Amino acid sequence: MSLFILFGVFFFCLVIGVPVAFCLGIAAFAGFIYEGLPLFIATQRIVSGISVFSLLAIPFFIFAGELMLQGGIAVRLVRLASAAVGWMRGGLGVVNVASSMLFGGISGSAVADTSALGSILMPVMKEKGYDGDYAVNVTVTSSIAGVVIPPSHNMIIYAIAAGGLPISQLFLAGVVPGILMCLCLAFAAWLVAVKRGYPAESFPGFSSLAMSFVVALPGLLTAVIIVGGVLSGIMTVTESGAFGALYAIVITALVYRELSWEKFKTAVLVSVRITSMAMILIACASAFAYLLTLNRVPELLAGLVLSISESKFVILMMLNLTFLLLGMVMDMAALILITTPIFLPIILELGMSPVQFGIIMMMNLGLGLTTPPVGACLFVGCVVGNERMENVVKTIWPFYLAILTALMLVTYFPVVSLGLGWLLLPE
Amino acid sequence: MDVLQRGLDILAQLAVTLASVMIVSLIVIFSWLVYGRYILNATPTWVEQAALLMVVWITFLGAAVGVRRRTHLSVEFIRDGLPDPLRRAALFLVSFALLFFGAMLAWQGYDMYDRTAQREIPLIGISEGWRAIPVVIGGTMICLFTLDDLLRLALGIADET
Repeated sequence: MSLFILFGVFFFCLVIGVPVAFCLGIAAFAGFIYEGLPLFIATQRIVSGISVFSLLAIPFFIFAGELMLQGGIAVRLVRLASAAVGWMRGGLGVVNVASSMLFGGISGSAVADTSALGSILMPVMKEKGYDGDYAVNVTVTSSIAGVVIPPSHNMIIYAIAAGGLPISQLFLAGVVPGILMCLCLAFAAWLVAVKRGYPAESFPGFSSLAMSFVVALPGLLTAVIIVGGVLSGIMTVTESGAFGALYAIVITALVYRELSWEKFKTAVLVSVRITSMAMILIACASAFAYLLTLNRVPELLAGLVLSISESKFVILMMLNLTFLLLGMVMDMAALILITTPIFLPIILELGMSPVQFGIIMMMNLGLGLTTPPVGACLFVGCVVGNERMENVVKTIWPFYLAILTALMLVTYFPVVSLGLGWLLLPE
Repeated sequence: MDVLQRGLDILAQLAVTLASVMIVSLIVIFSWLVYGRYILNATPTWVEQAALLMVVWITFLGAAVGVRRRTHLSVEFIRDGLPDPLRRAALFLVSFALLFFGAMLAWQGYDMYDRTAQREIPLIGISEGWRAIPVVIGGTMICLFTLDDLLRLALGIADET
């Protein structure tokens, strides 16, 4: 019965349109009241849920990503990508994917990626005769790289929800799947471009390519600093994030000279908004999860799933489908926080690595950001590209297919995600 | 009515400004931490505790402002598909739900303050109560902003977002 209250209140609030974070908080308070638990424990969980050291990295990552957009790092990354792969058929589509790989690798936010690269690349693509739906399709789907390729603040949320996994391992595990996904997407972008007869850019020559690399290098180093700091163990993820953000300020203000006071203020305001939204979600989810554990939901559900099938193959497929469906209607961070404590016991029971599971989750929920009706990236992409969502969704399936292909490889071949860690972080 | 709107907007602006200053301070003090550890060989131990405290402030101030500026993520397509009277009823219910949440935060935050004010946060030597204050402020602000929504909804002043 208390579970009925917990989930009933949660879903009711969700359906009438209460912000997701508050749905969790309200359901948690209702659950505490119903079970007669002391309410101060709920508040305590809410506050202690965000008093976690590595969560402090989130505002830094978001701030760094926003600075890249405001301060001219993003434009230079696009120029580099376009010098490198623009000569292919449908070159700008492939450039878009490559830019996402570079940008997402630094900012770690899919929505920032969509708005940054979309506003730079979509007008150029349309001018060169690409259709609007194609431009949005490529921009939106490739932005998922942001959550898979490190650094990614969603991985930090997962690491904490999973009870403190080492973030360095998760970061390493995201590299190959992220690149693999981008390769699949680039192939899809190329295929569609060939079919529709889109133009190719001319190759600017190796000296020009080298030049654009040199210009983009200071920006690219932001990612090297953040990821390198964590992997080498010199800095914690939080310190790396702060250092990366400070470095991004220095580069955009002093080297690229594009960061004005106004742009700096915008970046700060955006980080306040996104940070507080993510944090209140984490706070409320932590009170919600307390009740889930108290009611032994994870064990019950694990038992239920394992009674349906004990085949790893089948269970993983079920989990993938569940994530895809949930991702279609709910936000990424919320789902990570709610589903991790529920599904992780199943994964451990199967003898699977929680790190690999984390990457599977990132890809699934990342895909959810690009699907109707509530995909944040799809929504932003359509707004930036000035396209109707119905038109965009009609032609997006080759790109979904590309991501699903990468997802299946990551799901059924542990080496794809874990291989790099085996090589670089021997136990 | 206009005065009320302006007052609430100023309140939101104040909260955002305070949170912005804190986020910039976070970057500064963490860079100081790394600098201190590797260059000065003296790790400033207060940084972590101060940062954990500031993040609670940023969260609750920002989350409350999000209610006013409608920046929180919510599932709206179901509600928007409802026939008009039901949709209106749902909007009322949302406000009541937010009011409940804000009130719980304010009340329980105060309770938390009461229980913890005597203790000190280690390493920075100020009262644990400072951690509970933003919960009270955030909860109160959520209530104020939501009451304003309710008022406008009841008076039929359009705010169809």
